[in-house]
Amino acid sequence: MKTATSNRVLALALAAGLGLSVTAQAAEQGDAKEGDFLRGAKAWADNCTRCHNVRDPKELRDDQWKTTVFHMRVRGGLTGQQTRDIIKFLQESN
Amino acid sequence: MKFRRSLLAGAIGLAVLAPASAETELDKLKAEVEALKKEVASAAEWKTPRTLVHMAGYADIGFTDTESEPGTFKMGRFSPIFHYQIDELVMLEAEMEFSVNELGETEAALEYLTIDWFMNDHAALIAGKFLSPLGQFRQNMHPSWINKMASAPVGFGHDQAAPNAEVGLQIRGGFGLGGISANYAVFMGNGPTAEGDAGEFEMIESPGLNGNGDGTYVGGGRLGLLFPDQKLEIGFSAATGDIDIRTNTDPLTYEGAKRDYSVLGADLAWRPGNFDVRAEYIQQSIGEQAASAVPDKADWTAWYGQVAYRFLPSKWEVVARYSNYDTPGEEGDRVQIAGGVNYVFESNFVAKLDYESNDNPNDGFDADNRVLAQLAYGF
Repeated sequence: MKTATSNRVLALALAAGLGLSVTAQAAEQGDAKEGDFLRGAKAWADNCTRCHNVRDPKELRDDQWKTTVFHMRVRGGLTGQQTRDIIKFLQESN
Repeated sequence: MKFRRSLLAGAIGLAVLAPASAETELDKLKAEVEALKKEVASAAEWKTPRTLVHMAGYADIGFTDTESEPGTFKMGRFSPIFHYQIDELVMLEAEMEFSVNELGETEAALEYLTIDWFMNDHAALIAGKFLSPLGQFRQNMHPSWINKMASAPVGFGHDQAAPNAEVGLQIRGGFGLGGISANYAVFMGNGPTAEGDAGEFEMIESPGLNGNGDGTYVGGGRLGLLFPDQKLEIGFSAATGDIDIRTNTDPLTYEGAKRDYSVLGADLAWRPGNFDVRAEYIQQSIGEQAASAVPDKADWTAWYGQVAYRFLPSKWEVVARYSNYDTPGEEGDRVQIAGGVNYVFESNFVAKLDYESNDNPNDGFDADNRVLAQLAYGF
């Protein structure tokens, strides 16, 4: 019985996450913007040092920054817009 | 007369050949320009493919001098991370971990392997084996080039209080909340396993079980709130589910007596000026089960607080950390006070020298103090 209850709680938690995602998707339809250098500089300063020393934009090429920042999108819980902004900033600063 | 005739013939010949020669030179130049154009286009190809491939990761080596043992050089870990990405739709991420044991044998492990589907700007579906999103140290702070000390805080190592990994599904992302931003992760996975003997738990393991022999699941998540103006992030983690005690590994057998399992955690990161302040609390709990060989409930609790200060613009940094680990038994309990000096050659290449004072607070047990030196490189 307890197992069934726990599994229901888990299913609810996952459903809540999915619901949040779908809601967010609905809210952002047509709202996605191109990356912006200035917003990217701020998002880079606000987020990248949350865990590690700040990395020099010149360390990587454009394509390497793209995969690196998408990796950090997952690790740091960045939004898609923050990701595009940070990529723009790094690609124009390297 | 003969000479004049020859001169005239030469002049006529030159006059006839000159336009043809100019034409040849022009064709040659055109061919060279075309070849150069192709070369430039080829050199720029890496900027535009739909599939990107990238390798990141980290490695460390060091020296450890433990109170009751001779000092020893240590090859830590080599942990390459592979990224394969198609457009902005999907990314495959895999981290290997290679290490060498005391016999010199190389050991390999798959730390995580996930396919990340970027569903929209606020959510990514992560499927596979992933680092536990509960807390911060295990999922984000443990790589040696990021961790400001050469060791993990007590209780935050493998198979201790902080869950390590899960095999299952996870949704994570971020969203704005007025002047602050939030990041979240919710997951459902196979959960951890535990072993017990003579009425006591020996360990709890969360390596990311690639099977669900006990038929139980665990789910939960973390919510992080980031206050960018204050350089402050606070996070809350929780998970719940069931667990069954493992009685044998070969063949894999379980008691068949399920019981409650839960995790609670909170974490903080604050970066005022040149300071870097971190703290985290995490607890895994197993409920009681009368039908079990280990009937009592059990908690694994750990917390740490760490302060680092960087003497900018120099490359020197000092760090101090207090950590505490409480287990169901007495032997594994630890209280640790540690301090260290770092030299940050580059943001991703750091030399560390630490001293750890380790203590078991229970009577009749002891723990060794240690000096650790480490070179860590993130790439």
